[in-house]
Amino acid sequence: MAIPLAYNVRSLLVRRWTSLFTLGGIALVVAATMLLAALVGGLQQMLVSTGEPDNLIVLRKGATSDGSSQLSREAGQVLRTLAGVARGPDGTPLASRELVNQPFIRTRAGGRENVLVRGVEPTALAVHRAVRLVEGRMFRPNLGEVVVGRGTLARYRGAGVGSQIEFGRRRWTVVGVFDSGGTAFDSEIWADVNDVQNDTRRDGYSGVRLQLDSGADRYAVVQRIASDGRFTLEAKPEAAYYREQADNANALYLLVLTLAVVMATGAVFGALNTMYAAVASRTAEIGTLRALGFGRGAILVSFLSESLLLAGAGLIVGMGLAAIAVLAINTLLSGVQFSMMTFSVATVLLRLSPGGALLGGLFAGAIGVLGGLAPAWRAAHLRVVDALHRA
Amino acid sequence: MTYPRLVLRNLLRHPLRTLFTTLSIALSIFLVCAVLTLPAALDAMFERAASNVRISVHHKAGLTYWLPFSSVQKVRGIPGVAGVDHYSWFGGIYDEPKNLFPNFAMDPDDVEAVWPDYGIDPAALARFRKTRNGALVGEQTMRKFGWRIGQEITLRGTIFPVDLTLQLVGVIPAASGNPLVLWFNRKYLDEAMEGRGGFPRVGMIWVRAERPEDVPRIIHAVDDLFRNSEAETAAESEKSFYTSFFSSFRGFIRVILAVGVLVVGAVVLIAANTSAMGVRERIPELAILKSLGFRRRPLLAVLMAESALVALLGGLLGAGGAYGIFRALGAAGKTGGAVPFLGPLGAFRVSATVGMEGVAIALLVGLVAGMVPAWNGARLNVVEALRRLF
Repeated sequence: MAIPLAYNVRSLLVRRWTSLFTLGGIALVVAATMLLAALVGGLQQMLVSTGEPDNLIVLRKGATSDGSSQLSREAGQVLRTLAGVARGPDGTPLASRELVNQPFIRTRAGGRENVLVRGVEPTALAVHRAVRLVEGRMFRPNLGEVVVGRGTLARYRGAGVGSQIEFGRRRWTVVGVFDSGGTAFDSEIWADVNDVQNDTRRDGYSGVRLQLDSGADRYAVVQRIASDGRFTLEAKPEAAYYREQADNANALYLLVLTLAVVMATGAVFGALNTMYAAVASRTAEIGTLRALGFGRGAILVSFLSESLLLAGAGLIVGMGLAAIAVLAINTLLSGVQFSMMTFSVATVLLRLSPGGALLGGLFAGAIGVLGGLAPAWRAAHLRVVDALHRA
Repeated sequence: MTYPRLVLRNLLRHPLRTLFTTLSIALSIFLVCAVLTLPAALDAMFERAASNVRISVHHKAGLTYWLPFSSVQKVRGIPGVAGVDHYSWFGGIYDEPKNLFPNFAMDPDDVEAVWPDYGIDPAALARFRKTRNGALVGEQTMRKFGWRIGQEITLRGTIFPVDLTLQLVGVIPAASGNPLVLWFNRKYLDEAMEGRGGFPRVGMIWVRAERPEDVPRIIHAVDDLFRNSEAETAAESEKSFYTSFFSSFRGFIRVILAVGVLVVGAVVLIAANTSAMGVRERIPELAILKSLGFRRRPLLAVLMAESALVALLGGLLGAGGAYGIFRALGAAGKTGGAVPFLGPLGAFRVSATVGMEGVAIALLVGLVAGMVPAWNGARLNVVEALRRLF
């Protein structure tokens, strides 16, 4: 016969401070694990979801990002007219020639950051299909107009429709806001490519993004670009390019996992102490239960469930804490600033994921089982006579 | 029985419990040390790399804007300037694209005047000045690629349309705080670019002031010199430059530190719990001690000492472990570049200072965790406690 769970709940409530402290310890471990997982998760989400499946990114061979690539005007022209590149309804090739610049921009807090300003042509919106204007309109060429990513609004001085934003050698008029659904573009400012060329006194482009015809042989296009002897270029599917960037985040993930495992191991020892003490202080009770006819298995299960109950409560509180922390960081600090591919700043929104919650749950479960098993075993194997004798 | 003996006996009464608490604190302090290493490495880098007499001069609009090469000569004329050199980011790739390290075109003639603190071998500097395609390379980068002095390497340009073959002529010691960088002669790049109009620009100018107190004046003088010119400058101290360059790490570090705080919080709860359990079980004993005439203070001290001792032991174990393990991993080449975008911070070495901080945090944890239970134990009402006992 099983011992009712109510017995365990009451036991926990009787030792309310001890229970609360152990619960708190587990909750903090869960919260810390989930917070770290949310950071890595946000980073991966940002990078992995960036890029279109049938887009190619063409950079200088060997360049790791468009911030460190430079190609000539001629290369840009050749790529634009390449066979296999899709065309828009009006017949213009869906090729986005882009020049990436990283000027200083003043933050609203008064600091100075390197921000990624992408000089593009109006076709850019057709090529980057995830990017949508959500306010105002697209910039007009050669007028010093810009559209800004949603993530820049709260962060930089003058980032808002109708305002002037200062960077480079001039002031720019913000005419629109775009949203790319949480991808890396959200931290960028887009301006006319000619304007950016003039401002930086640079000729040519950083890279070209090509949208391919649905029928085009992607591999053949990549080959043709690589084998063009006039330029040293390299084409890659956009998704692969961003996946490579996300690999950096995987190294971070390993680090986070190691931290979390060490943390959880520490908490197991804490739980062990609590449960051993619980068994020790209830020797007489256990003897009584055994005398009443509850078997060894019942005692074992009962103490183990008590430990798991504590861990479960810790898990729930920890998840709540993590959710509050993530919300606070995302809203009050507007995310975590990070620079990865270039030295300009991208804002990562922390992201609670089922994976992170699972990790937290796994650790809480492990703490509950490992912390409760040995004490429960001891409780189950107390000799009834000895136990009652002590009473 | 002396007091220290009493403390020791009490700790050994439940050896398993003491062991668990110690291990729990040790693991947490290990983590705290690992977590503190990142911001500490950043600060240490600023301290070491940022001399208080060096000034960084770059374009007002940002680091991607070039300055005309003629600006370098103009800065030399400012009174109080001891040396002027410059940096142009070449961004060359060695072998594989993921092998990123900073490489700059600069002027070998002025290295000694601007970076006398780097401890570069004068013979190497002489070779650097003489060799047209010579390069000085930071110790860590040298080790990473297994390069030797005298070896020729090729850097593939991704921003510049040229590849450069460089001969390694000397090392920039790790103690300079700049162990990743590679320097080569600007003239060599200029020649390589000859067919394309040469390279009459620089990315950044480094100025060394004769005296630290001249720095603010020189900063103003430089900016005044180029005001309303084609390339207006923003001069700032080296420290302010690095701080702002790495400011994007701050948000990340804040999250990591928040995690560290949570870990410390968790271990305080765990340790407090154990210590409370220890006191609760010993109420009768404490009551007897008090009735025998032991005063409140010594009892409080004994109980606190127990908690502090366990914490200290755990702290030493955890901090020592972190110090040793990360050092061993570093020596085995397992860290460093594991997290490439952290740059020089990826080396992940736990410094002695961080280790000491870890031990101090452990001690604090022990004192905080022991305080309330010890207080409760020490101010026990003897009559009440004994009544409960009998």
